[in-house]
This record gives sequence, structure tokens and C-alpha cells, in this order.
Amino acid sequence: MAHDPEAATDKPSALAADRRKLLLGLGIAAGGALVSSLVSERSLAVEDKTAERQVTDAPSSNRADVEQRVPFYGVHQAGIVTPRPANGMVVAFDVIADTPADFDKMLRKLTERIVFLTQGGQPPSLDRKLPPADSGILGPEVFSDNLTITVGLGDSIFENRPWLKHLKPKCLQKMTQFTNDALVAELCHGDLSLQFCANSADTNIHALRDILKNLPEYLVPRWKQEGNVPTILPDSDGHVQSARNFLGFRDGSANPHSSNEALMDEIVWVGQGDGEPEWAIGGTYQAVRIIRNFVERWDRTPLGEQERIFGRRKMSGAPMDGKTENDAPDYAKDPDGKVTRLDAHIRLANPRTPETQKNLILRRPFNYSNGVTKNGQLDQGLLFIVYQADLDRGFIAVQTRLSGEPLEEYIKPIGGGYFYVLPGARESGDYLGRKLAEAAAAGPPT
Amino acid sequence: MKPHFLAATALAAALGYAGMAYAEDEDSKLVEPLAAYKSYVADHTEKLLENTTKFTAAVNAGDIAKAKALFAPTRMDYESIEPIAELFSDLDHTIDSRADDFEGKEKDPKFSGFHRIEYGLWTENSTKGLEPYATQLLADVKDLNHRIENLTFPPETVVGGAAALMEEVAATKISGEEDRYSHTDLWDFKANFDGSKKIYDLVKPLIEKDNADFVKKVDENFKVVDDTLAKYKTADGYELYDKLSDEDRKVLAAKVNVLATELSTLRGKLGLN
Repeated sequence: MAHDPEAATDKPSALAADRRKLLLGLGIAAGGALVSSLVSERSLAVEDKTAERQVTDAPSSNRADVEQRVPFYGVHQAGIVTPRPANGMVVAFDVIADTPADFDKMLRKLTERIVFLTQGGQPPSLDRKLPPADSGILGPEVFSDNLTITVGLGDSIFENRPWLKHLKPKCLQKMTQFTNDALVAELCHGDLSLQFCANSADTNIHALRDILKNLPEYLVPRWKQEGNVPTILPDSDGHVQSARNFLGFRDGSANPHSSNEALMDEIVWVGQGDGEPEWAIGGTYQAVRIIRNFVERWDRTPLGEQERIFGRRKMSGAPMDGKTENDAPDYAKDPDGKVTRLDAHIRLANPRTPETQKNLILRRPFNYSNGVTKNGQLDQGLLFIVYQADLDRGFIAVQTRLSGEPLEEYIKPIGGGYFYVLPGARESGDYLGRKLAEAAAAGPPT
Repeated sequence: MKPHFLAATALAAALGYAGMAYAEDEDSKLVEPLAAYKSYVADHTEKLLENTTKFTAAVNAGDIAKAKALFAPTRMDYESIEPIAELFSDLDHTIDSRADDFEGKEKDPKFSGFHRIEYGLWTENSTKGLEPYATQLLADVKDLNHRIENLTFPPETVVGGAAALMEEVAATKISGEEDRYSHTDLWDFKANFDGSKKIYDLVKPLIEKDNADFVKKVDENFKVVDDTLAKYKTADGYELYDKLSDEDRKVLAAKVNVLATELSTLRGKLGLN
């Protein structure tokens, strides 16, 4: 677009002024925060100014997104039934805490960091002779950016500590190998898991760096996997369909509705009658699986075969006997698997019989893409995260049923672990795992 | 050896004189600990030269067993003064580079120094072809000795060295990648640890009054690391890296990170930039 400098409109001169400001900003802030705030104002103001943007101008976000805030305090932790943002990350740690007192200190400190990071604010500024309090990768203001950080405890933290062992949740166990797994020791298990979810990947990384910097005496990272969910254009009626995994299929089609509280109480949250320790009420079991997808081979598989393996149409996500993603397959009418194969993924995962209702689980997965393997193939797959009130009845039962499914030719679980997600911190002053820490300090029953 | 740290310390060395003058004006209380540290470094460089002479003589004489026995103890004197030794990046490169630092890895003709000789002794189980590396190593250590004698110690580098040594442990010693052929990493670990603690002990009297919590925390963590390492002490040194239990490795990783975090404030606490 050519601007006539003599034109009697104020638009070109405004642009010129903006450009001067921008150049000035570059000189002073060396491409820092000043520039990016100028850019976001400009890009919001007038659409055709995009033509003026420079190579290194930051891609702009919008205030509504960065200020999105998920409340921290509540009966349950955030990041489970709250809507899944675009970016996720799971990090498992070994915990160094030899006494109930250390364990308690760790939980308090961790809670303090999570409150700050998820609710946002300004990190303190310190003497310039000291290392800064914050990594600075989000700038001077840490926006909440829809961040949730969800804390879970693994089997080993209980098993290896005599003062915690008697408090272990009844279904918590070390993840064991399923038939198609090829578990890599360095990518498995852990004393503690943190699930980070936010609108931007940088917010998750910033949060992890903050926690590592503030809790070096307690947490040693063991493995980490980042992932993301593709954003989806809503349908014309505003309905948003499920995002696709790296096999190109919609993932999450038959997930139970997380906004249905009664259903979540039944499927996800541990309650009074579940026979779990008192401290654990309001928590849930988290199963994490790093599932590699052999995408090259998948892309060389006929479409019809791909659909038969999953039991859904690839583009629409509809079941084989349906029209839309939300249609429920009617297996009663198809007892021999003529329409939906008996070993199709969705049929084994959820046979939709009265007896298998108790196996329902809440999935919250992310896609991951890491690099290239020694074979020259892409290292991509699914960071599968699932929540349930009973681990045996939930993920373990479902995965056992899936054993031997034809999809196994194309996927290989290589890591992950089982964790018990702590109940929420109720209000300011409360902290995650308080009841557990108190029970540990009180000692085992005599 | 860490390139970023090297770049920073090389810059510090270039500015060393100005920094020194400033520090002396501002804070003459550092003079005494700096002098004591200089003497500590002198002791170690002297011992480094003595041991390197014996070590390289064993290599040149084809005495594999003796060369192997002298490798780890000789390195300790280098590792304990690394913040100073690293100021001379050209020498650090020829003395202490690892195969990773070269495009051709172990087979790269530029790969030299301790780890090249270590590779020959352990992986090839031979001293054949090691003579040129031994000769160069001895010449480099002599040069280092000479250069350190004439060095004005930049206070920022010395005080910052306490944390830098912990960073060194955190980044390369915990994993056992430093001495990957001989697996004598715990010797280096101990030397880095001692070097860090020496600096801390020298300046501790200057800060302990105003920083009681800091001193308590650092002392406690130094003690845990020391106690953990002591479990692996043998009659003449340390166990091989693969003897280190997963549990202890985790504890060491956490404590070293705490020490690196805490000691990173030492310069600031002493008013140094």
C-alpha cells in the first residue's frame, strides 16, 4: 500500500508517528516490552497496519486471553474439569523430604508459588547485584494467562517414607507395563507430578522455571513432556468440536461432560464413600501416558482402514453408524461388529454397556512433537492425561480392555505414571495437601 | 568447561584491574580473604604441576597402571581452582575439554588434555600415541602456573567462583559425563565442592552477622553434600561413579542446586557487581 505523504488524512501521519515511536522504542528497549506493547496496540487498532509490521515484531496476544484467570482455591484443584487451554506440560519430580516437617514446608512453598503464578502479579524487584527474583521471560508483569498447576503424588513418595506409607490412597500404585508398552525408565513414575496448562507455552515454562528456582531443595525434575491442542474454528452455530490428535482423528468425542458436577462427582472426584483416607477426599487419580504415534506408517494406511481401527469417520468424527461427532454408536444393533469392528478403538475403550459405565474416565490429552528418532522418523504422539475416582476401575480397566487392539500397530506407550491429585486448598491460608501433612505429622495409628 | 561462563570470565579478566581497584576502594575488607584465596590457589597449582609431572611421566613411560592411578588425584587440584583456571580459556580448552567439544569427538585431532589421555588409558587401555598429549598437558600446566602467579585476582570472579563451582557440579558432575571413560567423577565432584566451600569459608566472617539464615542454610547443605560424598570415600580416593546410588544422586542434585542458588547471592551480599 502506497501512502501519499501530502494526503489530507491523519492516517499516514499517525502511522509515521507510530513508526517513529517504534524506532525510538527499539533504540531504548532493544526490542523489549515497550516495542511489543506498541505493536499490540497498533495491531488491535487498525487492521491494515499489519502491512507496517516488522519481522521481529512480537506476534500479538490480546488482553482477554492473558488476563484469563482460573480460581485457585476450591474443593478440588483446578486443571481437571476446568476447560483445557491450548498448551499443556507434565513434569514429574523426585522429592527430597525426609521428615513430615520438610514435607509440610514443601507443600506450603509449592502452594505459595502456584497461587502467585496462576493468579498473576508482579514479582518483587531486588538489588541489581543479586540474581533477579523472576526469570523475566514473561516481562515485568506475570499474567495469569489461564494457567493452572495441578499437583499429584506418586506411589514412591508414600512407599519410600515410613511416615507417609500408611496414608497412601488405596488404588495408588506404580504404573506397570501393558502388553504394547515399551516403557523407558527415565520417562516413568516420580514422587510428584505437576500438570501445567495455559494459553501460551511460555507461561507454562515460566511457571516451571519459577518453581524450580524457588524449591531447589525439594524437587529434582525426573521427566517432562510438553504438548498442545490445536485450536478449532467453531461451527456456524457456535458449537466447538473436539480437537484432533496427531493421527488426524478427533480426540475427546465421547468424553463425559466436565461441566456436569454430579457426573464429575461420580466419575472423577474421590468422595466420602470411596474407602479412601480422609485426607484424600476431593482428590482424584491421574494417569499420564506418553504415547508415541508412528505417524509415517499411519499416513501410509488406507483411510478406510484408519477409520475401521478407530471406529469413527476421520473428518467428521462421527461413529460408523452416525452422522456427527456427538452421535452415539448403537452397538446393540451391531453385535457381530459388521458396522463397527468389535476390536475398534472406541468400542473396546467404551463398550457402552451398563456394566462398563463404571469404567468411564475424563480425558485431558495434549499432542506432542519432540524431534526425530534414530530411524529418521518423527517423534510425535499423545501426552495422554486421564482423571478418575478409581484408578483400577478407570484407566487400568480401560487399557486392559484395549490390549491387543489393532491400533497398537501404530502407537507405543513409552512413559508416564500414576499420581494421586491432592484435594484443593479451600481458602486463603489453606495449602495443598494440608490434611495429608497433618496426618503424617501425627504419626501412624498405634 | 562451559563456554558461556568462559566468555563471561574472560571479560571479567579483561576488566580485572579496574574491578580490583574499585573493589579495594569500596571494600577493603575483601583484601584479606582474596590474599588467602590466592595462596590457596598457589598451593593447588603447585601441586597440580607436581602431580602432572608424575602423571605425564607415567604416560610417557608406558606405565598404564601408574598413569591410571594418578589420573583422578591429579585432576583434583585443577578442579578445585577452576574459577581461576577457567579465566585462561585457551588453556582450559587444551587442558580440560571433553570430546563433546569437538566435531570429530574422540577421534578429533584437536581433542587433547586430561580427557584425551583418559580416553586412551581406559577406553583403548594403552598409552600408545598419548605422548604428544602428555607433553602438551605438562607444558600447558606450566604455562597456567606461570599465568596464575602473575594474575591479579578479580574479586567478582573469586567470590562468584563459589557458585560457579556448584554450577559446574550441577551441569556436568551429577550425571557422570565428565570422566566418562574412567568414571572417577566423584573425585572431581569433591574437588569442585572443596573449592567452593573454601571461597565461602573465607568470606563467611564478612557476612554472617547480617545473614544468619543464609549462613545456616548454606552450612547445612554443605554438610549434607559432604556427608553424602563421605559415604563413597575409599582408602585412596573415591568410588567409581556407577557406585553412586540413585537415592544419593537425587539428594546431591537437590543440595547442589540449593547451594548454587544460595551462593549466587554471595557477590551481591558483599556489594560486588
